[in-house]
Amino acid sequence: MIVFLTILSLVSGLVYGYFDVESSFISAITQNTHIVLYILMFSVGISIGMYDGIVQKIREYHIKIFIIPIGIIIGSLLGGIICSMIVKMPVGHGTAIASGLGWYSLSGATISKLVSAEAGSIAFLSNLMREIFSFFIIPFLAVHFNYYTCIAPAGATSEDTTLPVMLKYTNEETVVLSVLNGVICSFCVPILISFCLNIK
Amino acid sequence: MDILIVMCIGILVGRVSILRRAKKKNEYLSLFCTFILIFSMGVMLGKKDHFFEELSSLGLTSFLFFLIPTVLSIGLVYWLTRVFMKKDK
Repeated sequence: MIVFLTILSLVSGLVYGYFDVESSFISAITQNTHIVLYILMFSVGISIGMYDGIVQKIREYHIKIFIIPIGIIIGSLLGGIICSMIVKMPVGHGTAIASGLGWYSLSGATISKLVSAEAGSIAFLSNLMREIFSFFIIPFLAVHFNYYTCIAPAGATSEDTTLPVMLKYTNEETVVLSVLNGVICSFCVPILISFCLNIK
Repeated sequence: MDILIVMCIGILVGRVSILRRAKKKNEYLSLFCTFILIFSMGVMLGKKDHFFEELSSLGLTSFLFFLIPTVLSIGLVYWLTRVFMKKDK
């Protein structure tokens, strides 16, 4: 449903922009997206702050909880570097796109605002693909690799949208690690995007 | 940097127990803001000349930006968990 509404928002925006319809209300919104972005980040912060027992779970797993997000982040950044070389894009932009870790809405909107509409739409589409394809990749990884690896394609979405698939194909321990990974990755996405865009 | 400061303020606000009843409303707020941002992005792209002509090349580039980082993430996490997290499956 969320994926459908997201695609609907993008398509209706494209149609509205293409036909150049004039509406002072919509123009006021589209010209002040930085305020909407601040509200979104504030809301995301509240969601992270609301997680109960997160400190206890971090103590339980010690350093192990960082192994999976570190692997996801390094793998994604390396992938971003390779992609930027293939498509001849600045490395900072390529790594920023890959830093979305599946969080297509935030990365698409942020990169669109900070870089360009094209880079934003690549970030949006590639991270949307990452989320959609995760639903199909996770069952395969659970059989042919190991349960922990199922968290890798999901990236930042492992705490919400892809969690039901994780519940179905892995075990409780992996689900807990999946939630923690999602929180860590979600926290890292804006940091990584800001950091990558400062790469000269 | 501004957005990180705003997010950190949000984390502190999220620790306030009285707000926990509004968890669902907060989720709706996140979604609403997300849809507005995506709609605005669509408007910006739609207004851009030759955008639809460029869409086919963006689609292929986007697929590349999905495929390579995801495959490398899977490979690296598999290797790291095999080495450092013995108990699995």
